[in-house]
Amino acid sequence: MTVILEARKLSAGYGPLRVLHEIDLAVAQGERVGLVGLNGHGKTTLLRSIMGFVDWRRGEIELNGKSILRTPAHRLARAGIVLIPQGDALFPGLSVKDNLDSGAFAGNWRERKKRRERVLQLFPRLADRLGQPAGTLSGGERRMCSLGRGLMTDAHVYLIDEPSLGLAPGIAAGLFSTLRELEIGSGALVLAEQNRTLLEGWIDRIVRIHGGQVVGIEAGSGSTDGGPAAAREQEEGE
Amino acid sequence: MTDLIVTVNLAAVYGLIAVGISLTWAGLGFLNLASGVTFAASLYGAWWAQENISDHPAVIFLGGIVVGAVAGAIICVAVFLPLDGKPNWDTRSMVASLGLSLIGIYTFFLVFGPQRKAIDLLFGTTKFKIGGTTITADKSGAIICATIVMALVVIGLVTTKTGLGVRALTQNPEGAALVGIGRKQAAFAILVVSGALAGFSAVLLSQIFYPEPNIGYLPLLKGLIVALLGGLGSILGTVIAAVLVAATEAVTVHYIHQGWVLVTQLALIAIVLLVRPRGVAGILEATRA
Repeated sequence: MTVILEARKLSAGYGPLRVLHEIDLAVAQGERVGLVGLNGHGKTTLLRSIMGFVDWRRGEIELNGKSILRTPAHRLARAGIVLIPQGDALFPGLSVKDNLDSGAFAGNWRERKKRRERVLQLFPRLADRLGQPAGTLSGGERRMCSLGRGLMTDAHVYLIDEPSLGLAPGIAAGLFSTLRELEIGSGALVLAEQNRTLLEGWIDRIVRIHGGQVVGIEAGSGSTDGGPAAAREQEEGE
Repeated sequence: MTDLIVTVNLAAVYGLIAVGISLTWAGLGFLNLASGVTFAASLYGAWWAQENISDHPAVIFLGGIVVGAVAGAIICVAVFLPLDGKPNWDTRSMVASLGLSLIGIYTFFLVFGPQRKAIDLLFGTTKFKIGGTTITADKSGAIICATIVMALVVIGLVTTKTGLGVRALTQNPEGAALVGIGRKQAAFAILVVSGALAGFSAVLLSQIFYPEPNIGYLPLLKGLIVALLGGLGSILGTVIAAVLVAATEAVTVHYIHQGWVLVTQLALIAIVLLVRPRGVAGILEATRA
């Protein structure tokens, strides 16, 4: 197992405000990592700083061993990182179909119909809304549309920010059952979530974030190995 | 009936200019004040093609469109690319485009002099009557051509990958970046197509607006009025706004005086924006976002 995404001594913030304080985080291929912590303690900023959506960053971020600190977000999307953000970042005036298809922009555009069908199997509710502007969807449907758009990509690293936020428990549970089924293959998934119970049984490792720092790492109940630290030791041994 | 013909003619051409301004403003956050000089450059391009290559209408159109597209590319390279992402980008880009516009105007003075040039009638001298109203080939040709081009623009925006990228960018720049839409590539496409549309409009209006250095100010102002009234980034809103602005112009000329056209048009935009700050698109919209 090799490390696919790594942040080293990463500090980031907005204007004069420093939100992240020298965070170290490594995610291995095939790993599902949960970021947990209170609101306002840096989970979202960590995911956004990987994509470059912060005012400033210091430290290092690598994808497959190559620095991506100066790589703009649209190139990261083409390189296979997809961020499914809080607030969804949908295109409100475009139809659900166009929103989903936009996910194929960075990947294989000709395969978008096939991929859309796959997404609609995961979220059948969207099938009835394809021609509707995304801005008229309910909160749960928007989240489905945002996740669906992310799944339309050729991504191998998924960064998902609080998918349960603001949703009724039943809808959130439904979304998480879809996420559990997500095939990441040799990629990785990093999921920020406040509700820890939603991560039980399928997340490999839980990283606790508090005050912009990593304050604890523990094996999740879906863990099968020791995570990237063990992977790195194994590589060094080889 | 005559007013209706004038309205449709002006609406078709104003709509083409305004679509470019609207997409540039909404998609890139760039108020391109060099749109007027693009219009003027296209007129000179059409005139130059007529004088030096051929006076065939296709060549004249091509001259205007190519020069408009090249002007759009120059605006992208000279203003957008160096300033994009810099602090106060929106103000700086607006001022830079104004500067580029002034450079263009004085270049036209130096190269072509202050005299007006003349472009031949593009659609011949045929006239026909509908319901007792005489319609010249010039007006009907402009209406048909502008409608076809507007339809092609809409089809391109709705059915192509680049069109989806442009529409996405006008809706949510961060969301667009997240799906891999490059702002710089999209900017180039938007500015070149906007320039070509301005060039096409310039040729269609060449019997009203003759090639001269300062000719771009009025089309720029009309384009801004339509784009603002339509709601930035909304094609349907822009088309409806173009009809409203053109109808205001036709009615003002007919019932009041030519000199009152800008007054009534600015009054129209003030009233609509007071009621609906998002313009016509705000009236059309039913989104929760």
